[in-house]
Order: sequence, then structure tokens, then C-alpha cells
Amino acid sequence: MAYSSTRPVADRDRPLLSVEDLTVTFGRQGEEPFRAVDGVSFTVRPGQTVGLVGESGCGKSVTSLAIMGLLPKRGNTVGGRVDFEGTDLLSLGDAELRNRRGKDLAMVFQDPLSSLNPVVPVGLQVTEVLERHRGMSRKAAMPVAADLLSRVGIPDPNRRVKDYPHQMSGGMRQRALVAIALACAPRLLIADEPTTALDVTIQAQILALLKELVEETGTALIMITHDLGVVAGLCDEVNVLYGGRIVERGPRHPIFREPRHPYTNGLLDSIPRLDTVGERLTPIPGSVADNLPWDHACAFAPRCSQPVEICTQTTPDLVTNGDRALRCHNPVEVPR
Amino acid sequence: MSMVDDARLDSQASDADVLLRVEGIKVHFPIKRGIFFDKTIGHVYAVDGVDLQIRRGETYGLVGESGCGKSTLGRAILNLEHPTEGHVRFDGVDIASLKGEDLRRKRQDLQMVFQDPLSSLDPRQSVESILVEGMKAHGIAKDAKEARPRLRELLQAVGLPIQALSKYPHEFSGGQRQRIGIARALSVNPKLIVADEPVSALDVSVQAQVINLLADLQEEFGLTYLVIAHDLAVVRHISDRIGVMYLGAIAEEAPAAELYETPLHPYTRALLSAVPIPDPVVEDTREQILLTGDLPSPSAPPAGCRFHTRCPWRQPTRCEDERPALRVVEIDGVTAEHKVACHWAEQIHSGELQPHAVEPVAVDPSALSGNVEPVAIDASPLGPDGRRTP
Repeated sequence: MAYSSTRPVADRDRPLLSVEDLTVTFGRQGEEPFRAVDGVSFTVRPGQTVGLVGESGCGKSVTSLAIMGLLPKRGNTVGGRVDFEGTDLLSLGDAELRNRRGKDLAMVFQDPLSSLNPVVPVGLQVTEVLERHRGMSRKAAMPVAADLLSRVGIPDPNRRVKDYPHQMSGGMRQRALVAIALACAPRLLIADEPTTALDVTIQAQILALLKELVEETGTALIMITHDLGVVAGLCDEVNVLYGGRIVERGPRHPIFREPRHPYTNGLLDSIPRLDTVGERLTPIPGSVADNLPWDHACAFAPRCSQPVEICTQTTPDLVTNGDRALRCHNPVEVPR
Repeated sequence: MSMVDDARLDSQASDADVLLRVEGIKVHFPIKRGIFFDKTIGHVYAVDGVDLQIRRGETYGLVGESGCGKSTLGRAILNLEHPTEGHVRFDGVDIASLKGEDLRRKRQDLQMVFQDPLSSLDPRQSVESILVEGMKAHGIAKDAKEARPRLRELLQAVGLPIQALSKYPHEFSGGQRQRIGIARALSVNPKLIVADEPVSALDVSVQAQVINLLADLQEEFGLTYLVIAHDLAVVRHISDRIGVMYLGAIAEEAPAAELYETPLHPYTRALLSAVPIPDPVVEDTREQILLTGDLPSPSAPPAGCRFHTRCPWRQPTRCEDERPALRVVEIDGVTAEHKVACHWAEQIHSGELQPHAVEPVAVDPSALSGNVEPVAIDASPLGPDGRRTP
């Protein structure tokens, strides 16, 4: 797939996106406000694939929506800074944000059926982006749209541009979404559980496609998933989230080989692996409902396999050491 | 049961071991169209000829992608879906032919655990009432008071506190709700439990709790499981034997370890290679067989081998016109328990046949919702396999 970006590739060591101390709080009627994302910071360099991993309710999706400015206007407060090539995205107004969304940063969602417009042909949904951001006429944009669909592996694209979303299979719809996201060759692509609704063989196709596109276009990718297997095959850097905070960060190989946080370690112990013989699994006890508030404790302490007294008294800080970062009072010492 | 059936049952070895025997089961759903007259214009061949046996005390795993008919097969086994053809013998009794009161009584032996614990539990029933309902229906207990000791036992078995009895499903977390679903299935002392995607709605850290619980209960109560799931890693972990389904039929069946070590069917190979493994070292080095295209519509399944439209090993002969039977192959290190429905399994295994590129075929899912190709209106007679011969 030859994919030419018109822009020169930026300096690969300078961060493209830097999220600093991002906090999202949802107000609740008659209750204490809920802090879904609690001081999350990370950077993404051009061409890098960064994973945000965690279970439901860890704040991974809210983080991505906050970066894209897609959270609802009311009922929440967003704090911190989201620096994208020198601009704080959080300070931009609606019109400015619309000029950048779809052009400089794009997003692929989990459920392709609910993120495509059911009454508009798929081809038109691709040309929409081209018309809006590149000022192309619909007539000129249509062949480009067909070309994009063929690049993401949709057979017979000239006929498929006229198809409505319901006429496509799940994998095909997800490919169409990827085509829409890549229409303007964005520098940052956020994929929020892009394969969770798909079958494994289709998942493998979409992941291979994303990998290929990232390598060829130099687009940076933020991959949001709960599946450690997906992360292991795709991400350069992994951020593990728990209860709205990053608890561990590291490059792909070390974090899987030597997880330091008991949560990361526990996750790896609790999932059955296809390539090993079935020993008894070691589950993480309890559920996310058992979390302690971060204010004066480690949220994970009630489910932790090795809590110490301080865990329920003081909040652990995220301590950076080289390319690893860890938020834990009593980290796992033994390598796996 | 007829004498012929008896004779045949006797002739098959280790029959006492077999708890469930499914023979040539088919479930076809009619596709209807029309406002005044429900004209049948085709069928969805959800399950199209499946034979399988489940032994006492074992866990049989059924894997496949969405739309392959695995859930329909599970429901047909429990007679929740009436099979179009074929027999389901449970302990020698043909379940598929049972009706009314006989069927209701038999249900005591066969229970089901569903995927979504919230929608399969009545939100307005307390846990106690959920658990007692089945016991009353099957005469195990007359009322809640009589059932008390048994309820205590059940909750302890699934790891819930006794206080849970007076609570309602919404007061529990996903993992706990699934425990209630399991307790409900256990309450009537079943012999077989069909678990349809028992952990896929749960968070990863909680999945392991439920998987371990299922294993413990099997040991404690001597249960037999049929576990239906799309997650191969989960199925491998809990199953003794595994059947891989593709478009309404079993493509390969083998003991769990053997299936993963020596997959013989091209579909199994592709499926196994597509599962992500949480280990970057493995992910970086292993070879992936990427399938092109999507699952064909089960309302117009391909002739011959169901998989030939996507198969990287497809051959010019046999694959397109001859439907392969599930057979035992003679390959070193492959046991007689290992069956595969592929004409070329031996040659593919030896490396004599090499994979080639496949052009993706576009599949229109709306065909499922009634817009079937004209082929489906074909009036030619039904073939011996129940499908129309063109």
C-alpha cells in the first residue's frame, strides 16, 4: 500500500501530542462528583504507537474523548493540558476544533455500526471529510474515496461507495471507518477498542491494516484496548490505567517481561494464554467496585496481592525511571 | 426407541461413557417474506449436519466465530430450538422428540448458563426466589423454607455470601451475577450444563474467577459441560475436547492440547494464528495466516467445502463440489480422537500443499435479513443432505 503524506515527517523525537495532568470530572446529581480521569500524563511521538490498557471504568475512553474534545458540553469539567504541535487543544473553540478534527487528528470507534450514519452511503461519508477539510468538490472527491476504500482492503470499491452501512459486514464497516479517519492523512489516529466487536480472524485483518498504515504514513497511533494480546503485538509503549490513573508505563517488551505493578502482573496471570497448557488461573479478587479513593490510598489496594500498611494510608506517586514509570508502594520484585 | 437404534447404540464402544450423543442435527430457519402470505423464500442453514458426543464428566468446548451456528447448536441440544432434523440422545433418551411435560421434566438434567447475566436474571426477583423457582418446579423443595439448607450450600459453592439471598440482581457486579446464574443452573442438580459464552461479558480480571469456579464445580459435583465461546484461549484452558465450527458444521474436532499443537484444518490454523498472545516475544516471531473476506451468508452457504471461498489451501478439485466429511486421518502423532473435515488434510500437514493468495469475496450481510439471492428461491428438489441441488 503506497500511502504518500504531503507533509514532511516531523522531528521524530519531539512529541506530537503531550497530555499533561488531564483530569475529567463528571458531576452527579445529589452525589459527589466522579473523577473518571485523574491526572493522566503521557506523550506520543510521530509514528509511535502508544497503548492505553485497562478494564471497564479505568478512564481509557474518557481520556481519548477528552483529547478529541468530544465530551458532552455539560456535566463535566476537563482540566490539564493537551498539547498538539504547540496548541492546547483544550483551549480551542468549537470552530477551531472542528477544523482540526478529521484533518490533524482522527478517531476510530469500537462499534462501526453506530458510528456510521445509517442513511448516508459509505462513499459519501468518506467524501464528506475530503470536502470539509480539503475543499474538494464531491465529484472530485468520489474517486479519492473509492481509492481510500480500496487501500483499506474493501473489494470492489467503485461499487461499494454506494453501499449503505447495513449492506456491509462488521469488518468491512470497520475498514470504512479507518478509511474515513485516514482520508486527510492525520498525524494522530486514536483507535478506541477498534476490534472488540469483531471476530478474531477479522480482528487480525484490522490490526494488520493499522500496523501497515502506521508504518507507511508515519501516523502516530493511540490504541485503547482491554486486550493485552493486542497491545503485545502492536504498541511501542504501554500505559496501564487503573481507576483513572496511570499505574504503570513502559516499552512493550520490558512491561510484559517484568511487570512491576501488581495490577499489571495480576492481569497477565489472570488471562488464559493460547500457547501454554492450562494451569489454574490466578484471578484478581473482587471487582473495580471495591476501589478505594485515590486521595489518601492506592485505589487498587483492596484487590492487591501484596498490600502493605502504607497502601491504605498514602497515595502512591507515579515515579519515572528511564522509560518506565510506576505508581506503587510495594512493587513486584521477581521477574516473570 | 426402536430396536435398530438399540442395536446401533450397543455396537458403539464405551457407550456408557457417553452422556450426550448428537446425530446429524440440523436447524434451518425459514426466511419469510410477504404481508398477507408468509411465503418461505429460503432458509438460514444455521446448523447443517453436526455429529458430536460428550462423555460424562468432560468439558467439550465449541468454538467458532459469530454466525457459525454454535449458539444455535447449544440451544438445539437443550431443545430450546427445535431441530429440523437429527437426534439428540441424552442418557439414551431422544431429547429432540420430547414434548410437553416429559420435556419439562428432562430439563432438570440439562441446564444453561447464559452470556449476559443481567438480562438472563429477572430484575424483580430476589436471588432467593430465582434459585428456589427451579427447585419448586422440579419438586426438589416445596418452598423457600425447605430449600434453605440447599440454598446455603449453593451460595457457598459459587462463592457468594448468604446475605445475597435477599438482594436483587442489580445490586451485584457482573462477576457476581454470573455466579448467581451458575447457582441457578446448579440448583436442580443437572447432569449437563451448557454454558454459552459464560465469561465474554466480564472484565478480564474477573473472567479468571468464573473460569476457576466452573472448574471447581465440575470436580465437586461431577458435572459435564458444553462450553460455547469465541475466545479460543478460554476454550483451550477449560476444555478436554474441542470442536471448531464453521458455517453450521464442525470443521475439526480434537483433544484440546492436540488441536493447538497440530491443527489440521486450514480454518483452525488461521483461527489459532489470529488470536493475539499477550507476549511481545511470541507476537513478533509467529507467523500469521490472514484470512481474506468475511464469513459467507449461512442462507446461501458455498457448495462443497464451506470454507473454500476463503481457504488459502484451496485446490482446483474436490474443494468446490464435494462436501468433506469429518474423518480420522492417518498422520504420525495424530490420535484417532482427532477428526477433520478437509479433503487435503494429510497433504497440507506434510507441507506438500502450500498456501496461496485468496481474492476476497464481498459478503452482503443484508442477505441475512431477507434480501437473499435468487438462488434461495430455487425450486429444485431437496438433496439427500437437505440442501437444494442446483
